[in-house]
Amino acid sequence: MNPYLKLLGIGLLATFHSAVGIAQSSGDPAKGKEIVAKTCVACHGVDGNGPVPNFPKLAGTDAGYLLKQLREFKNKRRTSEVMEPIAGALSADEMADAAAFFASQKPAPGTVKDPSLLDAGKKLWTDGNPTSGVPACAGCHGDRGQGDERYPRLAGQYSEYTQDQLGQFKSGKRKNDKRQMQAVADRMSEQEIKAVAEYIANLP
Amino acid sequence: MNHLSRFAIPLIVTLLAPAVLAEVEQQPRAPGIETKGYVWNKPDEEKARALKHKADPLKGKAAYKGCQGCHKPDASGRPDDDYPQLAGQHASVLIKQMVDVRAGRRDNPKMHPFVGDWVVSAEDVADIAVYLNSLPTPTNNGKGDGKNLALGKKLYEKDCVGCHGDNGEGDEGKFYPMVTGQHYRYLLRESRQIRDGVRRNAYPKMVTVIKKYSDADLEAVSDYMSRLLPAKAAAK
Ligand code: HEC
Ligand code: HEC
Ligand code: HEC
Ligand code: HEC
Repeated sequence: MNPYLKLLGIGLLATFHSAVGIAQSSGDPAKGKEIVAKTCVACHGVDGNGPVPNFPKLAGTDAGYLLKQLREFKNKRRTSEVMEPIAGALSADEMADAAAFFASQKPAPGTVKDPSLLDAGKKLWTDGNPTSGVPACAGCHGDRGQGDERYPRLAGQYSEYTQDQLGQFKSGKRKNDKRQMQAVADRMSEQEIKAVAEYIANLP
Repeated sequence: MNHLSRFAIPLIVTLLAPAVLAEVEQQPRAPGIETKGYVWNKPDEEKARALKHKADPLKGKAAYKGCQGCHKPDASGRPDDDYPQLAGQHASVLIKQMVDVRAGRRDNPKMHPFVGDWVVSAEDVADIAVYLNSLPTPTNNGKGDGKNLALGKKLYEKDCVGCHGDNGEGDEGKFYPMVTGQHYRYLLRESRQIRDGVRRNAYPKMVTVIKKYSDADLEAVSDYMSRLLPAKAAAK
């Protein structure tokens, strides 16, 4: 790649992220509830605990993180055939309202399918893999995967969705992460991805 | 269409397919000690910005989140691998090392994606440095086998104490690292890399001293250093 282009790209990224960093994320959960009941319920459920493993659980996830994702679906920094048009149709206020509503909901516990992977998953979660340079997930996402505005909540998430996102970071399809998750996923084996996804599903 | 082209088409498609690639790039490489005219700790714009920033340890604590997956929440690193202990290190040293890694004067491809300026600004670097400096240095760091401590002490007191200090305290004003509480494995690795010219941001005066060391000397002196105690604890 042309080094100047790359520099320009980095500059743009930095500008973009700092713009997002100072953005308002205080929406109205009551208005959000109506939007969700009308537009999001089919996939994410009435309360952000949708029943289908390909559609991420959103309940209890930080509103600032959710808002950032919606904005980035809208401006196509994060790509998804399904979510781009849905977010594209929302106004800035509606996004903030929906994000505030999902953030205020109680997350439902996840389900483990292959308990034999939990030990390996736990090791990666708490200790990383120093040989390949995978940092412990707990370092950024929190001991219990509770997350914050910068590093999303993962606890109880469907393992299918977690695996899909790790694959997207690994391949570079998803790039809205300040390159941190792309580096993390790039260093993970398929087996590690499966194991840590099970462990995440098991986090309360 | 012959057989070859039937194979060739999927092959080309496969080769072209990763049009999107993860933005995981190589660390840049800047000239270091292997270059003629190398000046250690040369002033540079980013370092100047970090050093003069009025640092805020609370902001540093928040920014340090992105580091603790490797360096651990208490910044004690790993005795079993090459992740150094950072707690209590001089802020000046932390800033210089971070800036060197970002610029590519010190090679650290494992860490580089997490410390670039797309993640932390020069000001964040200073905030993190002040926060880390405020943490207590653990003394349960990894040690060597203890077999050659007499030799280690002799070498340290002859060749190293002048810069790294009686208690391994280093010198904040001169950018000399504190080595107290550092893991044996890391000390040995860095000593070897400095001797062999692999750590490219090294101090030439130190290289002159350590150049003549055998591997056994390095093991002995690293083991001795890993047992140095902070001045207060040593006085007890
Ligand atoms: C047709 C199904 C569908 C509908 C309806 C839908 N979503 Fe989604 N949503 C998805 C899918 C699929 C993803 C994962 C996209 C990907 O591949 O990255 C997603 C992801 C998200 C994310 C990112 C979650 C994360 O953890 O990063 C947010 C936020 C979100 N949706 C909000 C909404 C909101 C708000 C609505 C209603 C206005 C909505 N969605 C309606 C299917 C849907
Ligand atoms: C250095 C910090 C850091 C570490 C360590 C880290 N992550 Fe992340 N993670 C991030 C960031 C940043 C994002 C994306 C934030 C955004 O899109 O704004 C993210 C997002 C994710 C997502 C997508 C969540 C969603 O709802 O779409 C998953 C899954 C994930 N991380 C899993 C992991 C796993 C598993 C590990 C450990 C192997 C890990 N992360 C370690 C920083 C980190
Ligand atoms: C992927 C793991 C990883 C992450 C994440 C990471 N580091 Fe490091 N760090 C390392 C390794 C490995 C070394 C030692 C490499 C070497 O020998 O040069 C190191 C060395 C250092 C040093 C040099 C210490 C010395 O005594 O010279 C500093 C300072 C440092 N890291 C700070 C940070 C900060 C601040 C962050 C977060 C912004 C961070 N690191 C994130 C792996 C990591
Ligand atoms: C003339 C001063 C000087 C002398 C003498 C000296 N050092 Fe150093 N040492 C330094 C400086 C300066 C650095 C940091 C170089 C840099 O900027 O990267 C350093 C770095 C180190 C490091 C790496 C520390 C870290 O946190 O990464 C080790 C280990 C070390 N020295 C061991 C020794 C040993 C062993 C001796 C004696 C044989 C010695 N030094 C003698 C100045 C000195």
